[in-house]
Amino acid sequence: MTDKEKVLVIDDEKPTLRMFSLLLSAYGYDILTAENGHEGVELFKAERPNLVLTDIKMPVMDGIEALKEIKRIDPHAEVIVITGHGDMDLAIQALNLDATDFINKPLQREALEQALNRASERLAITRNEEGQISVRERPEAAVIAVRGNISGHTVPHLDAAFRTAKGLGKGLILIHFEDNASINGAGITGLTRLLQTHRDEGIQVALAGLSPNFKTVFDMVGITKLASMYESAEEALQ
Amino acid sequence: MLVAVLFISVAIAFIARYILLSSLNQELEMRGEAIAHSVAERGGSYILDNDIPQLLVLIFDEAKLHQRKHLLSYIFIEDVNGKLLAHTMTKRLPDVLLSNKLPQGKHDAIKLLNVEGEHIYDVAAAINEGLYRIGTVHVGLNKEHIDTLVGKLRVAFLGFISLVVLITIFLSSWLTRYITKPITDLTRLSDEISRGNFDIPLKLGPDEDWDTANCPAFTNTDLPCWHFDESRSGEAPGEEHRKCAKCAFYRKHEGDEVVQLSDSFRNMVWSIKLYRRRLRESEEKYRSLFDSGPDPIFVVDCATGDIRDANPRTEELYGYAKEELLALKFLNLGPEHNAECLNYFSEGGGGCVYFPKVLHYKKGNEPFFVNMHACPISYRGRHAIIVAVTDITEMIEKDAQLIQAGKMKSLGEMSAGVAHEINQPLNAIKMGSEYLAMMQEQDLAVSKEDFLQVVAEISAQVDRAAEIIDTLRSFGRKSDLIEELVDINQPVRAVLSMVRRQFELDNIRFELDLTEGLPKVSAHSNRLQQVIFNLVTNARDAINDCSSPMDAVCDRRITIRTGKSEGKIYTEIEDTGAGIREEDQHKIFEPFFTTKEAGQGMGLGLAITYGIVKDYGGDIRINSDNKKGTVFRMQFPAANTRGGPSI
Repeated sequence: MTDKEKVLVIDDEKPTLRMFSLLLSAYGYDILTAENGHEGVELFKAERPNLVLTDIKMPVMDGIEALKEIKRIDPHAEVIVITGHGDMDLAIQALNLDATDFINKPLQREALEQALNRASERLAITRNEEGQISVRERPEAAVIAVRGNISGHTVPHLDAAFRTAKGLGKGLILIHFEDNASINGAGITGLTRLLQTHRDEGIQVALAGLSPNFKTVFDMVGITKLASMYESAEEALQ
Repeated sequence: MLVAVLFISVAIAFIARYILLSSLNQELEMRGEAIAHSVAERGGSYILDNDIPQLLVLIFDEAKLHQRKHLLSYIFIEDVNGKLLAHTMTKRLPDVLLSNKLPQGKHDAIKLLNVEGEHIYDVAAAINEGLYRIGTVHVGLNKEHIDTLVGKLRVAFLGFISLVVLITIFLSSWLTRYITKPITDLTRLSDEISRGNFDIPLKLGPDEDWDTANCPAFTNTDLPCWHFDESRSGEAPGEEHRKCAKCAFYRKHEGDEVVQLSDSFRNMVWSIKLYRRRLRESEEKYRSLFDSGPDPIFVVDCATGDIRDANPRTEELYGYAKEELLALKFLNLGPEHNAECLNYFSEGGGGCVYFPKVLHYKKGNEPFFVNMHACPISYRGRHAIIVAVTDITEMIEKDAQLIQAGKMKSLGEMSAGVAHEINQPLNAIKMGSEYLAMMQEQDLAVSKEDFLQVVAEISAQVDRAAEIIDTLRSFGRKSDLIEELVDINQPVRAVLSMVRRQFELDNIRFELDLTEGLPKVSAHSNRLQQVIFNLVTNARDAINDCSSPMDAVCDRRITIRTGKSEGKIYTEIEDTGAGIREEDQHKIFEPFFTTKEAGQGMGLGLAITYGIVKDYGGDIRINSDNKKGTVFRMQFPAANTRGGPSI
């Protein structure tokens, strides 16, 4: 049992905690539960799990505060926040604080699985931003592949990649997000600015491979108006 | 009257006649006797001397003197032995005359004799010398002469009596004309007036004209009649009564008592006429107010509770015909509250009372709300109350709509919290079912224990969500008009079930101190929820005004207490917020007053709260210390004690 990955779940709802325990045990995790931010942070300090799932809306200390604390203690910890439906502001706030991902309540199994996978992958890859963005040439488009986390630090690399892609002189630039890719608020802002400048130059940009969660966020901030979205790279290139 | 006068006069006349005639007879007889005695006095010596010629001279002188010859038929003298000595007759003395013998010891006697068909009173007188009788004088009084005299007297007297009777008749007719007739007229008039006929011409004098148009006070009932209303003070009429100084109707003639009586009677009739007209006008005015007033009005007998009178609007509003209404008791119209009204007055309550929002029933038991004003009056000699009713159904409905709008707003405010609240059970259900699905898909065995746990949890969470939905539904439902019995703790719990979590996420703790088993309150549960919701959200805002949710040291607490004191059921909601400034405390229940920033609040929450609390006969008070928090305390009377004595 000790080689199991430890997961800390922070939620003020006992029934939810119980279900999490069952579900995550089924996924093969070792579960730690806490009923509020304080408990969670204390437990995190004691147990140092690599993965934390936290509800945002909690009394005493909410998920955002807990996220800050945990990131302060261990910036490499992967924190997935659980939000109520339509709480995009909070979700974005959490992403800006370098949360790995966010999941909406009521919890979809796929979303949970994706988030868990992404977290595991992110835990696996080295935190080297340059290696995260690469440009490849395809017959019909220039493809920018994105891995890991796009944040304020990554945006200049993304800019450079864009210029490279433009230099290829294709009519379409496809930004392909890998499975483990996530993007925080600053990343989103940078991407938006980038897309706006390129739209003025009349170059078509397509985005592919985003998880539904991020699609929602992109919808909200208006990126979908600047670029077309596709499920996969293949779909985009047809 | 006249007959009596005549009868009395005739009786007096007969008595007088009798006295007169008998005294005349006596007088003549006495004259006869006097003559006889004077002859006896003077003839005594001639008899003694036996001087017959002298005796003759004497009796002739006596007999023929002046008028006596008509009265005296004869004089003769006889001696003691009855022998005739002298007489004045020219023929032989009839024998019958000698039959009137004077008995011994008597001086005179009188006797009616019939002498050859003539009736004569024969007066005999003794002629005495010393103690001895020496003869008798007889004087014959002619009865016919006497009768003639009497006859003359009788005629004269009868004439006199007739004159007296005539004078009497004349006098009484004069009396009739000048005294009795006016009084008879007055009697006739007052009889007419008693029968209510005031339009008879009141001709009591020659210069009468009963044209009422001449009287300004008669045509204008607002103008007082100076003679009636003002003249008692003895002052001159004022400007508006200038012409009334020479009033066409009030009279004072110079004259005897009868004239004065008829004047005063006439004035009285005029006053009655004037005031009767005014009374009728005023009665018509108020009757028309009663009949055509916009609001229903009842007159209710205090003792029996019967409806004695009702205006046409009552028929429209209550749907009963007037006869049906008059057959009803006032209690039938509003069994819940009308008893209170009746009791108030029958227990001697004075003044007018106002009963707001009373439930009444139309025909067919359809309930509606009224405001009731009741004042004591005397109606046909009985203690009664006049009840004016205003239909406020429309207002109540508007009220309900406003409250409903307020509730909808509250629902809107709650929605985020409620969404979160419903999301929690949904999340647990979702996860439970996803877990089961996943285990099935991956053909993994679920331990029976886990399975039962998941299923039980799912079931419990569904109940939880359903409960939230129920609470929301009952909160949002529009209340009936009819109040229900509410345990004051129930709305508190219902509101908390919706907002507690939400508040706790804001780090606001609830402390509950609810007393169980309190008497129920007559109210609407969801309106009370609305009130409590308003108060707790205000409490939250007040707490947020004073500290931030992140502030761990700050006491962020809302305390809710329920209980009973002094017969009232109370609910207190206390916060540890910023408090209400002294100068705002009396304004906070005013509509559109808000201490929040523009766009943050309408300022209707507490106004609606106040209205709802007042509706249930309760009151709401604030106790606030700036910077220390506020206590809102609502008190309600226990059900069935509203307006009555405290339990």
